[in-house]
Amino acid sequence: MSRLLSLIGLFLLVITFNTQSQEVKTIDEKGLSNLLKNRDGSILFINFWATWCVPCREEFPDIVKLAKNFPKVEYVAVSLDHPDEIKSKIEPFLKKMKAPFNNYVAKFKDDQVLIEMINKDWNGAIPATAIYSSNGKEVGFYPKKMSYTELEKELKKVIK
Amino acid sequence: MYKFITLLTLALVFTACTKHEAVATEKQASTTLDTVITNFSLPDINGKTHSLTDYKSSKAIVLMFISTECPVSNAYNSRMAAIAKDYAAKGITFLGINSNKAEDVAAIKKHAADNGLGFTILKDKGNVVADQLSASFTPEIYVLNGDLKLLYHGRIDDKRRVEEVTSNDLQKALDEIVAGKPVSVSSTKAFGCTIKRVD
Repeated sequence: MSRLLSLIGLFLLVITFNTQSQEVKTIDEKGLSNLLKNRDGSILFINFWATWCVPCREEFPDIVKLAKNFPKVEYVAVSLDHPDEIKSKIEPFLKKMKAPFNNYVAKFKDDQVLIEMINKDWNGAIPATAIYSSNGKEVGFYPKKMSYTELEKELKKVIK
Repeated sequence: MYKFITLLTLALVFTACTKHEAVATEKQASTTLDTVITNFSLPDINGKTHSLTDYKSSKAIVLMFISTECPVSNAYNSRMAAIAKDYAAKGITFLGINSNKAEDVAAIKKHAADNGLGFTILKDKGNVVADQLSASFTPEIYVLNGDLKLLYHGRIDDKRRVEEVTSNDLQKALDEIVAGKPVSVSSTKAFGCTIKRVD
């Protein structure tokens, strides 16, 4: 009976994590700032994408693969679709991808604020990925589509 | 129950993280404001060649990197057409540039006709001009004066949905140029589709 309860508990836990990871919340300037700064000892891998961006959709499965292969890193994906497209566009794509991490959609008064927060040299082309160290310092910024090999190589530089 | 708690603890520990650092930043090259752009020549979608120096007498030359397929660029079609029409009457030249490798002249021509894009559109085969200017997404705007000095670089406005626009950045810059004033906000940023370059 005890084993059955444990298994049910584990099953519910997995379901909860999976459901949470594919739910999309909005993130604003304050939320992003907190995410970037309050690392609490964890490396952050953050990807900016959109359902309208073909190279972003092509890159996404490799980020999912990376998250599975390097689970100690915190992964976050920020969609640049409109917040009112969560149910119609963003979540269906994420469910298809089985994205095992936290997903947001940007809700900024001005996208330029978001761009400047991530990297001054970023001009807004997506996909773009940034890696932050455990103390909240940006240690890698890649404003382009990357292959799995490239993603892994850059992440390994940070994990060591 | 004890096992469940153990498993829950393990799952939480699983999400705990490590303390590591490294440096790996890639910087994008950019065309800086006030630099003089080197003249270039490109064919339009009807085969006529245009050089920037053809428009030296214009109050300004607006270069608009556009796409037939990018949803963001397409969201700006009517805005680009309207701005080009309005400001052409004020002595400003508008040149659309398509640098995407997969978008050929026939597709660009049809797209322009379907969307009422009345301005000249140049085909940048091999993304030579996009490389020269470090243009990287659509729609991306460069405004030059008659001496080909860069006066404004960035977005058309601050929102992809026209009904949400609060800052008409390109129009503001053009109004200042027409009025003979310096451009007060000469650099802006927005999200767009990456220009698909040749390998």
